[in-house]
Amino acid sequence: MKRQLIAAVGVAAMVVGLAACGSDAKKDDGASSGGAKDYNGKTLNAWFMDGSAPQAWQDGVKAEFEKQFPGAKLNIQIQKWDGIGQKVTTALSEGSVDVLEIGNTQTAGYAATGGLADLTGAKADLGGSDWAPNLNESAVLDGKQYAAPWYFTNRVVIYNKELWTKAGIAAPPKTLDEFYADLEKLKGTPGVNNALYLPGQEWYTYFGLVTDAGGKIAKQDGGKWVGNLSSPEAKAAFATYQKLQSYSNAPKDKDEATPQQSTLFPKGDIGAMIGLGWEAPAPKDMPADKVGFFPLPGKTADKPSSVFLGGSNLAVAEASKNQDLAKGFLKIALSDKFEGQLAASGLIPNKTSLNSQVTGDFAKAALPASANGAVTPNVASWANVENNPNPIKDFLAAALQGGDYDSLAKKYDDEIGKRLAQKQ
Amino acid sequence: MAVHSERVQTRSPKEAKTAGAATEPAAATADGTPKNARPAGGASLLSRSTPYLLILPATLATAALLGWPLVKTGLISFQNLNRRQLIQHLTEWNGFDNYTAQLSSSEFWHTAGRSVAFTLLNVFLIMAGGTLVGLLLNRLGKGMRLFLSFGLIMAWAMPIVASTTVYTWLFDQQYGVVNWFLDKLGWHGMADYNWFGSQLSTFFVIVLLIVWGSIPFVAFNMYAGLTTIPAELYEAARMDGAGAFKIFTAVVFPSLRPFFLATTFLEVIWVFKCFTQVYAMNFGGPQRLTETLPVYAFVEGFGNQHYGTGAAIAVLTIVMLGALMAYYFRIILKQEDEL
Repeated sequence: MKRQLIAAVGVAAMVVGLAACGSDAKKDDGASSGGAKDYNGKTLNAWFMDGSAPQAWQDGVKAEFEKQFPGAKLNIQIQKWDGIGQKVTTALSEGSVDVLEIGNTQTAGYAATGGLADLTGAKADLGGSDWAPNLNESAVLDGKQYAAPWYFTNRVVIYNKELWTKAGIAAPPKTLDEFYADLEKLKGTPGVNNALYLPGQEWYTYFGLVTDAGGKIAKQDGGKWVGNLSSPEAKAAFATYQKLQSYSNAPKDKDEATPQQSTLFPKGDIGAMIGLGWEAPAPKDMPADKVGFFPLPGKTADKPSSVFLGGSNLAVAEASKNQDLAKGFLKIALSDKFEGQLAASGLIPNKTSLNSQVTGDFAKAALPASANGAVTPNVASWANVENNPNPIKDFLAAALQGGDYDSLAKKYDDEIGKRLAQKQ
Repeated sequence: MAVHSERVQTRSPKEAKTAGAATEPAAATADGTPKNARPAGGASLLSRSTPYLLILPATLATAALLGWPLVKTGLISFQNLNRRQLIQHLTEWNGFDNYTAQLSSSEFWHTAGRSVAFTLLNVFLIMAGGTLVGLLLNRLGKGMRLFLSFGLIMAWAMPIVASTTVYTWLFDQQYGVVNWFLDKLGWHGMADYNWFGSQLSTFFVIVLLIVWGSIPFVAFNMYAGLTTIPAELYEAARMDGAGAFKIFTAVVFPSLRPFFLATTFLEVIWVFKCFTQVYAMNFGGPQRLTETLPVYAFVEGFGNQHYGTGAAIAVLTIVMLGALMAYYFRIILKQEDEL
């Protein structure tokens, strides 16, 4: 064992040595002489999710961080959403991550594990007094601040302008009925494979529709959380969802990430899809003037359909040995400068005062709908529901494939209830 | 390590000199020329310990790679180990809670029943297919035998994840060659068929993959076994007017009984614990309907992060497999008594 360790250290030393050869020798000298506080050799590991932080934002934050904490390195790692739960658990257990992005629906669950550092004391310093209360909700559990709200976003309809013009549609629809009519036209247009690309397990859209119908996917029943797919509202929402899905050739038993719908849209045979800002094609894949955005219409023209309010918080690992650096990093990342940059990339920032900086066609479509946005129940056990195989996804696939709604709803309500009741 | 040092201590200096210098050759000659190598009467300590020394590396490797994880799994199965406990490094013993929860869950028993049926079907198809291919190998001419052997080896050698990926693509709803072919054959309803949309069709693809991947092993063993049957036996059977089927039941099967027994039970083990093909094909879907016990253990243990529950399911799986195998061991023991 010992010999292996020595060998490993030796190899690591060689690797570091090689890396040092490549770096600027002058800079090394400067760093070793030290500043007021020496962060030499410290590395802050930060995890961001795929599609969250734009590259420019990452670069900017990194430069700022390494300027403020001379000698310290910021190691940004981009994680995939698929299977993230287990990865986060392992990382929090081992202390191999210092700062991490956690989805807003999962934050309470991780807060309850004791893996996230309590940031209540640092809240004011991080600018917490100005955070939008509805956005901060998911970062708080039992009155303690376990994360800092970072950004919010919601899905809109992303459409291919060229195909819509070809189908003879003049303007984006204002009501669901208009949308159906447009999709009908698109369906008959040559070169259109999917009028609307909507895989059957896209439960975020379904969640929005349930909210729009005035329902909830899970409800509290005598102090206990239970599934609520059997409710008439959820059933009505499913009818809308099924109708929308009928304009799609996308698989009924897959979600939007299998395959990534963002990779399909640029092929040019999809009339529209429901997606987040990062899923819209990059200009290199499809010219920006061909891509349009509008919120999923509601039943009436006065307001768009409700949406699932997605978003992410930034948290510090309890096991992190770099608590000071981590909080320092949060302060930079959440500063108005960098939150503003996020806003400029089309995400909704954590302070309403920065909303004016939200720009871009995507954000213009997303903001109106976000007012009717809703999130999943803020309870620690909600993360269990989203673990694969996610019962809501399985439910949608089964119901779309011709299963009986009522019996399926009952079955999956039981499963959701079971997961919500699981002890930690 | 302890065993090694003990050996050195108890050995006389003279023996140590010769043995230490040539442990390997001594072992080799013991095997090759038994008469010379094994001293009559007072066997040296070395030659007596040789078998144990030879088995030592394998034992150590098994203990480290199988025994230790098994012990750990056993321990975890008596714990309430979820995300919170894992992150905070807590140990919460909860006795038989995980077991009672599983044994009283209809989901577990459904999955167990499905696993047993799945295993029996696969093993039956593998044994039947493998036997037929083995017989074919025996009958073919040199060129064709080489050709077929090559194909079998390719199927056998293909990494499981790779072959599973290939199968998912073969049976893909939109781009799969199977649907395309069925469509071309005139079966137009199959042009857009979703093989992974229902339990039976998903199982069909999984079973096909597993049977395809396992036939080579049975076929080669069968062929090897067949070459040991003297040609006179066939001749005699034919003289007595036996047809092909009769020859198989009266000559081949009795001669190769041990082969059939061992192979069948090996296949039972492999199929029962088979995880990769089932999981990688459709992650136990649709709607968790193709989860077999190993997949169920993984989904509950890792997917839902209830590691204690997952471990309990794994232990129960081992117990069930043990029960299935008890029959085999009984036959083996009985045979040894007879010999």
